[in-house]
Amino acid sequence: MKKDELALIKYYSTKVADVADENKQVNLQELNMANEELFAHQDHSDLESEKITAPRYSYWKSVFRVFFKRKINIIFLALLGLVLAITYIYPLIMGYDPDVTPNIHIRDFSAWNLSPEQAIEKYGFSLHWILGTGMRGQSTFDYIWYGGTISLSLAFICAAINMIIGIALGAIWGFSKKFDIFMTEVYNIIGNVPGILVITVLVLILTAGFWTMVFALTITGWLGIAYFIRTQVIIIRDREYNLASRCLGTNIFRIAFKNVLPFMTSVIVTLLATEIPAYISSEVFLSYIGLGMSDMSLGRIIQEAQASMLVQGRQIQFWAPVAVSAVITIVLYVVGQNLGDASDPRTHM
Amino acid sequence: MSKYLVKRLIRGLISVVIIVAVIMLLVYTFIKREDIFKNDPNFSKKLSNARDVYQYERWEDFGYLDYVPYGDWLNMLVKDGTLTSEKRNEVAQFGYTEADDTPAVKEYVDKFKAYYQSKGYTIVRLDADMKKITVGGRQVLFAYKDIPVLTRLWKFFTSILEVDTIHYVENDEDLVGERGLTFTFFDPAAGGKFSPAIMGNGTKHKYLLYFDNQFPFIHQNVVKFHLGKSFAVNRGVEVVETMTNKQGSIVKSEVTYPTGYVEETSDDLHTATFSPNANLDNTFIKTRFTDKYTNVTSVKSSGSRITLSFIIGIISSIIAYLLGVPIGIAMARNKGKWFDKIATAYIVFILAVPSLVYIFIFRTVGMAAKLPGKFDIDSNNPLQFVLPIVSIALPSVAGLMQWLRRYMIDQMNSDYVKFARSGGMSERGIFSKHILKNAAIPLVHGIPGTILGALVGGFITETIYSVPGTGRMLTQAITLRDNAVIVGLAAFYSMLSIISLILGDILMALVDPRISFTDKAR
Repeated sequence: MKKDELALIKYYSTKVADVADENKQVNLQELNMANEELFAHQDHSDLESEKITAPRYSYWKSVFRVFFKRKINIIFLALLGLVLAITYIYPLIMGYDPDVTPNIHIRDFSAWNLSPEQAIEKYGFSLHWILGTGMRGQSTFDYIWYGGTISLSLAFICAAINMIIGIALGAIWGFSKKFDIFMTEVYNIIGNVPGILVITVLVLILTAGFWTMVFALTITGWLGIAYFIRTQVIIIRDREYNLASRCLGTNIFRIAFKNVLPFMTSVIVTLLATEIPAYISSEVFLSYIGLGMSDMSLGRIIQEAQASMLVQGRQIQFWAPVAVSAVITIVLYVVGQNLGDASDPRTHM
Repeated sequence: MSKYLVKRLIRGLISVVIIVAVIMLLVYTFIKREDIFKNDPNFSKKLSNARDVYQYERWEDFGYLDYVPYGDWLNMLVKDGTLTSEKRNEVAQFGYTEADDTPAVKEYVDKFKAYYQSKGYTIVRLDADMKKITVGGRQVLFAYKDIPVLTRLWKFFTSILEVDTIHYVENDEDLVGERGLTFTFFDPAAGGKFSPAIMGNGTKHKYLLYFDNQFPFIHQNVVKFHLGKSFAVNRGVEVVETMTNKQGSIVKSEVTYPTGYVEETSDDLHTATFSPNANLDNTFIKTRFTDKYTNVTSVKSSGSRITLSFIIGIISSIIAYLLGVPIGIAMARNKGKWFDKIATAYIVFILAVPSLVYIFIFRTVGMAAKLPGKFDIDSNNPLQFVLPIVSIALPSVAGLMQWLRRYMIDQMNSDYVKFARSGGMSERGIFSKHILKNAAIPLVHGIPGTILGALVGGFITETIYSVPGTGRMLTQAITLRDNAVIVGLAAFYSMLSIISLILGDILMALVDPRISFTDKAR
């Protein structure tokens, strides 16, 4: 309907109301208007009558609208951007290499284990020295972010592999009854093997490199995710709207991808938010007990700096990587959780 | 229900077998055999041929192969009666090289080779290394054969339970008196006080059932559980014994020996086992023991690995439930208010931050408060338990809070709660009578797991505080490449987790009458 038409109706309805208040019968002829003026002919259109007048709903737009409505989310997203920028771009610019770099002074005894003040005094103020130097005379700040790159990459790669395999198999697991019987037995068996055992055995068999670690963390890691997805699929699979859909002849793949998967977006995002910090956490622990990678990851740095924790003036070598790993994981977790909340359509009202 | 449980138990047992098989396959076939010697100081001390012999002996100990030296084979023949002792002494000395063998020796060496080659063994003869003859270069001759994984698996499961019978001792002449069981109300080892005990003659253990003043007060030695022998973590001792034997310094007390001799000693007579090589004419043994049950262990001051883990685990679980449940309820009731927000921040901290990081934070704070940051087995200071307990309890509080809050909020929005409210029920009544009961059901499922999980111990906590518990045993076994312990612990852990899942289901069915495991109700 056009705007002026709306105004017209409003006008006449008030007029009619005025007249009605006086308990008078309304005589249209008293208005002194022609029939053409009083009534407009409206053509019936099948197409128009099918249109829904509610505002257009876009899922992802609503997700981001809800997400950005909270100030804290904007702050944490900015922090996440900063952390990612520092972990991935800073080591590139600095060209930090654990072996060869002008920032390591392995032979210069006076450069070892300096506190931030001493390091700045020795080299002048620059970003390198704000956290002092480590036991080989390397800049602690550069060292931590170099380790952060490895740890974060490991977490991202493991999460990607596990999520893809886990979601794909979990969906099949949830839909196929035959596969369910088989996979539940597999889950009962593998789920009981202590994870640390699988990882250690694999690290012992293969050489302790980055890809070995990825392999060890993903070989059984997908199973938990698949099981979780399977449970969610089973809950949603038999809901009325899916039964109706199946009655109307929708094939199973369409139901899986069009009906069930969108329903689980928020669950998947929430899961991702817990998975990534969990990989960083297990990498740190494995490195701590001496089963980690040969690469200088955050875990290795924490393990290496353990002795420094007890030496006065050197504690920063230990607490700096600890704090950085805490910041990385908290930021990732909070952003992920809130994105997960925002991607739940029930919050879009 | 019982039919369902039997079915589940059987399936659980099958999965334990598969897990142990998988772990055995991984550990024995994929880890390099040579890796065992990486951290072995004895290996680097050995030189020349002695080093090879040591390697094969260790491999036999670790269960990789069957190793038979020539001398052992000759001794076996003597035992069978096909060879006299004099002849054995004559043929035992084989030459520096094969060419040096005397005809008599050659005959037996050839027999040895032929016998073991026919059984699929590999014969190894190393010639003497004349330059190092005194430090390990002596000639050696032995046969070995790799043990297949299936045989190893079969051995593991057939020897998992050992029942002690009066036919354990083979030779009658080793025994004093008749085979049989005796029951006494006045146990001599308890000082003749009232203390019922069943003692055996001909059995492996002298005391089959006895009472004492140690928890759980009644003890049995009839059925023993075996998970393989440890070689690096605790040389030559069973995995189960390594977990259950007491640790710490020796405690002496006044003990009355079977002969009536009284001495201030640490011997625990209740642990006496049969020792076939005991010499009863030896004055030391003669004054104390009347039979060959002379093998005793010492009373020690501190708890076993499993006790330490259990104490820490159970206290921290209790603390976690005592704190987590009320806080979770309070969070749900004050949803969206400042209390909920602070508690949520704590949950985020625990869930997101690597566990190593917050345990170190707890440790630093605790050490600043003058609490011991390292566990000392010889010290009786109960304060040393505080930090490990806190480090396990605080993270599990977060988990409990999170789940209870979520379950309760889910319940709060359900129709029956709205109905109860519209019926005029008080908010407090709704919370305690309806919401909490329903929200607690999923938590109840986890209780047996928490209790049995306490036996396993925290890997991270026990490693950081160096608590000698079961959790640290696995990391120790892995770094020392102690295959038997790895396999044994994997079997132990998987059994515990299967039992706790089944117990959790039973408990849930007891708490919630709607849950039933019979096929009909489903």
